Amino acid sequence: MDNGATMHLAVSLLPGIADASPDPEFTSLTRFVQKAEAAGLDMVLLADSAPASGSDGANKQMPFEATTLLAALAMVTNRIGLVAAASTVAHQPYNLARRFASLDIISHGRVGWNATVAQAPREAANFSRPEGFSGDDFRRRADEYIGIVQGLWRGWDADALLFDQSGGCFHDPEKMHLLDHKGEFFSVRGPLNVARSPQDTPVLVLSDLSVSDLDIAARTADVILLDGGPRDGAKARYDDFRRRVALCGRDPDAVKVLINVSPFTDGTATIADGMEREFLAKSCDGFNIQMPARPSALDDLVDLVLPALRRRGLFRESYRGVTLRSHLGLAGGGGQ
Amino acid sequence: MTSRQMKLGVFLWATGHHIAAWRHPKAHVTAGIDIDHYIQLARTAEAAKFDMVFCEDAAGLREANVGIASQTSRSIGFEPISLLSALAVQTSRIGLVSTASTSYNEPYGLARTFLSLDHLSGGRAGWNLVTSASPIEAANFGSTGLKPHADRYERAREFAEVVAKLWGEKLGATGHDGQSFSVRDSLDLPRSPQGAPVMVQAGASDVGRDLAARTADVVFTAAQTFEEAKAFYDDLKGRMAAYGREPDDIKIMPGVAPVVAETEAEAHEKHEELQELIPDDVGVALLSSYLSISDLWRYPIDGPLPELPPSEGMKSRQALVIEQSRRDNLSIRQLARHFAGARGHWRIVGTAAQIADEMQARFEGGAADGFNVMPSYFPGELEAFATLVVPELQRRGLFRTEYDGRTLRDHLGLKRPV
Repeated sequence: MDNGATMHLAVSLLPGIADASPDPEFTSLTRFVQKAEAAGLDMVLLADSAPASGSDGANKQMPFEATTLLAALAMVTNRIGLVAAASTVAHQPYNLARRFASLDIISHGRVGWNATVAQAPREAANFSRPEGFSGDDFRRRADEYIGIVQGLWRGWDADALLFDQSGGCFHDPEKMHLLDHKGEFFSVRGPLNVARSPQDTPVLVLSDLSVSDLDIAARTADVILLDGGPRDGAKARYDDFRRRVALCGRDPDAVKVLINVSPFTDGTATIADGMEREFLAKSCDGFNIQMPARPSALDDLVDLVLPALRRRGLFRESYRGVTLRSHLGLAGGGGQ
Repeated sequence: MTSRQMKLGVFLWATGHHIAAWRHPKAHVTAGIDIDHYIQLARTAEAAKFDMVFCEDAAGLREANVGIASQTSRSIGFEPISLLSALAVQTSRIGLVSTASTSYNEPYGLARTFLSLDHLSGGRAGWNLVTSASPIEAANFGSTGLKPHADRYERAREFAEVVAKLWGEKLGATGHDGQSFSVRDSLDLPRSPQGAPVMVQAGASDVGRDLAARTADVVFTAAQTFEEAKAFYDDLKGRMAAYGREPDDIKIMPGVAPVVAETEAEAHEKHEELQELIPDDVGVALLSSYLSISDLWRYPIDGPLPELPPSEGMKSRQALVIEQSRRDNLSIRQLARHFAGARGHWRIVGTAAQIADEMQARFEGGAADGFNVMPSYFPGELEAFATLVVPELQRRGLFRTEYDGRTLRDHLGLKRPV
């Protein structure tokens, strides 16, 4: 039986790198994600590879935008979490909240939004903002944006839809809530025209965080991705972050901290040992392993690392629930 | 030799196009949260060899009055780009067309998203350009309210131009720097499998027609009578030469809301059954929103439509409703009920042969290149159209019995853009 101490494991597809095999890209991605699902991983993160977000264009590009790709992958999987990157510059908050709310219903509650409060170079120039944003403006704007998105995700109560055909009452008007947000950067009345998520709200994953972003993350995130630092700093960093979460009035376990791991180059035994050490030292809740989107890239993880972790009782044998929140051991949506 | 055949789309709309569809015992009342419902609809349409499924869209509630809204099923549903991306994997031939607004998107993001859908579907995507006339939507995108019609269309014109450049890789080294938009880079995705996603439009105002004549591949329209349809068809095709285009470069597909049954009596019975389910206040509210006025309920429901000032909303739709009310001498209640069923589109109630006759007359009379079919409720009325009307059209040689190509442009007989 699994105990509560299971680690959380995600894989991220490195941006801009498609499978070089002759298979159509979607076929190859399907095999990748199905293999990750068969292995019981919590989630796959899909980067969004606009040149604007920093890839150098030297690699063969994946021909897909991440949210559309996610919808398609939801059709060929049924348990694994699917998280797409989407930029706060490329989308209006209402549109982004709505896209992810819809994806969450399409996938029966397996969706997350990977947001960043860091500005991608060049991106604003493709979205009619050639001057970009100052770093500080961008952070305040992203903070406000995330609050709007999470607020819109809560616009409909879970029991708002009545479907009362004979009485002529489709939904309970008392259970639909306007957002009425008026802020520094945005004004959004709401509500969304998409029903409540099957998992309460989509999961919010924050990445590329600087120290000054940690309080935003502590207040809003469900998962944060951190780069692996020096070993002795990781524990202090984790404890510090959990304190910040508690200061926001949230349960420290309400945010899962995953450490980014580069593609495996060391021996797999060493990798499993390193993951075990960090996890048991309580310096993270799990790992996000970055790899190119070819199914063979998963081989070492699936065939060697996961069995080693499972033998040591560190990773669950199979999915416990059907939603991404249940995989991650999360209750309802973050923030508030 | 194959003679000219009509193009057919299925206009998907949750429980159905009839405002009371969700109350019908045979409608799928949970359509707005059930992806399997849509997968089934898309497969039914594909098996019947439709050119495309089409999703309308609004980024906001459709009805401001919450009491009215709660009596319709239109306040919740799927966001169409995510919906069609999912359907892309569940189908292999049918076109996938979604509405998206030029007022609340940026051309780079929209072009990239539709191109991604095009790659996921192997060249079956299309974008229906709208400028969004609803103040409810506007309130989700800032505090300045709905922009005037002319401003929205000016932005839309530039938007469409930038999207076409991005799809065609003709952005150039300097990018685009215009009145409403600036874009520095070309898209990072490969060229579309069909050259470029199909560009659809529906605006029927004067400025809307010019934009369509210049940029559209397909035009959806609402026309009640043959004469209206013919006048629109001739006018739009006549505007194309000015932009160096051939008349056949645009397929004009008016909406048609059929109610079909084995006998005419049965068809009328089915239709009446739906009409009975419309609450008066819902019908009047729907009519008000199309007329872009808020106080229609103040007037006696059994009296005539009052004189109305011109609106900043949907100009062409408003004119159409007013003209119909005068022509048929309808009370507000009658107009509301009539209108609720098909929302100003052309409704035909009858047998497969009667419906095929009417469609054939418009198609062969030079008033349509095809039709956007609006079933009153799903899935039943789509299935009825697919099993009764489609075979009748095929017997007459008016509709394909098999797909010839793989892309939406192939189905529609559209040129690949260079």
